[in-house]
Amino acid sequence: MTTNNTTLLDSIDPEIVQTLAKRQNEIANGAGTNSKLTAALALGSIPVALAALSKDVYGQSASDVLDVLQFALLLEYLEAEFYNRGVANATVMGIPAADLPIFTTIQAHENAHVAALRAMITAKGATPIAKPNFDYTAKGNVPGFNFAAGQYATFQVLSQAFEDTGVRAYKGQAGRLINDKATLTAALTIHSVEARHAAEIRRLRNLKGWITGRSRDDLPAFTQPIYDGENNASQAGILLFPLGNNNGGGEAVTEAFDEPLTKDQVTAIVTPFLA
Amino acid sequence: MPEKKTMVISSAEQLLDAKTRRNFLKLMGAGGAVFFLPSILTACSDDDDDVTGPAFGQPAGSGPAVVIDFSRGDVAVLQYAYALEQLEADFYTRVVAAFSTSTFSAGERVVLTDVKNHEVIHRDAFKAILGPSNDFILNTTYGNLNFADRTSVLATARTFEDLGVAAYNGAAQYLTVLANLELAGKIVSVEARHAAVIRDLIAPKSSSQGDSGTSFAPKAFDDAFRPGKVVPLAQPFVVEVLTPRNAPATFVQGPNNNG
Repeated sequence: MTTNNTTLLDSIDPEIVQTLAKRQNEIANGAGTNSKLTAALALGSIPVALAALSKDVYGQSASDVLDVLQFALLLEYLEAEFYNRGVANATVMGIPAADLPIFTTIQAHENAHVAALRAMITAKGATPIAKPNFDYTAKGNVPGFNFAAGQYATFQVLSQAFEDTGVRAYKGQAGRLINDKATLTAALTIHSVEARHAAEIRRLRNLKGWITGRSRDDLPAFTQPIYDGENNASQAGILLFPLGNNNGGGEAVTEAFDEPLTKDQVTAIVTPFLA
Repeated sequence: MPEKKTMVISSAEQLLDAKTRRNFLKLMGAGGAVFFLPSILTACSDDDDDVTGPAFGQPAGSGPAVVIDFSRGDVAVLQYAYALEQLEADFYTRVVAAFSTSTFSAGERVVLTDVKNHEVIHRDAFKAILGPSNDFILNTTYGNLNFADRTSVLATARTFEDLGVAAYNGAAQYLTVLANLELAGKIVSVEARHAAVIRDLIAPKSSSQGDSGTSFAPKAFDDAFRPGKVVPLAQPFVVEVLTPRNAPATFVQGPNNNG
């Protein structure tokens, strides 16, 4: 066993602990971040202030949920247009007839995700972000890619990159939805579909359906941030490498868990694709 | 200032408990101290019980009740996941053990061995994480399933994987601790990857959609099932009587509105 106290402490919602520590300083400085907290502090009641603080830390706000939905919509726009253009140019690119059903299926799903997210945002009284223009060369990282003749292999590379990113992006945002069960559940049912897409495109490319370690396999170097951190083997504060004994070793331990990406990490991955 | 207090955490299970966590956070905020007893550091078991116990193959539902009490909150949800992972781990362990008589290709054996490894690791991870709350073992039964028969094995595998995805998607709403939600999220997408690959072995590159669709991804939104819908679908594979107790009265449906 290599578990230690530090790891266990780290496992307890480090964001919450950090936020709490930060808020503790704010309390010490007489600052408040919500009305109940301020009121409790004004009454000089630290226990009540802590209770308000605790609730505040746990409580993801409505604006948080909208931010997640808009962020997800951006990713779905990126995917939907990619497959729309890919399917429209299937003959030009040379997608074999046997492979095309994979992409028409994913295309339909991504467009359904766009429609659903727009509806969810509208239902919450907000306006969905407009679809931006995309640059599928990722600012030249995918030189000359334009859904053109002979570019089917590159199309598959980008498909894998988008799907594996999508899985990690949704996973990273789930926590911000913990208090909005309808949005959480809807997001999770998209999240697992992205994982199905990812596995299928990986199989099509003769790769395993799952991610081993932090390997990007044969994808170009600029995609490495999509896979960084996937080699994590510590779950709930317990290092799981021993569980790989006679069960595929450390590689299987990392394959068995997909890892989240933060919004900032996903933004860095996606930004080059914004025209 | 209130007096400084201390809190003793003696089992990993306590970390999964929302009440403990709240107290923990309050204590941290108040400058208190927390001690982890040594037992929590050895929660990681290296048991090699690859398959279920001696009641294997007895009629489904003929054994004693295994109660999962949802009034325990997050712990119960993780027990529920542990139960499902026990079934999957046992199933694939038997699939791999039957390779000498089955007709799977070399490539398919690699896939199924990977899946077996992942499911065993999931099961053993929950076993370690749950600590003292891991004290139940489900015995499996597969009726007359022929583990040498490729078609039958893959059909059962598909059932398990799709059910697993729907179960995790539907149970996430009952988790109150962020770390537990994150853990479930890390696993459910791997189950979805399994589901897609198994489906691709059965019907390669299929676009067939819907409840009976054969595609790797038969719906734009995966199902999200409440425990009360999952348990009857899992029970045919379990000797014990899966007994959810105090299941939450409310269930928020997913986009498919079928859970």
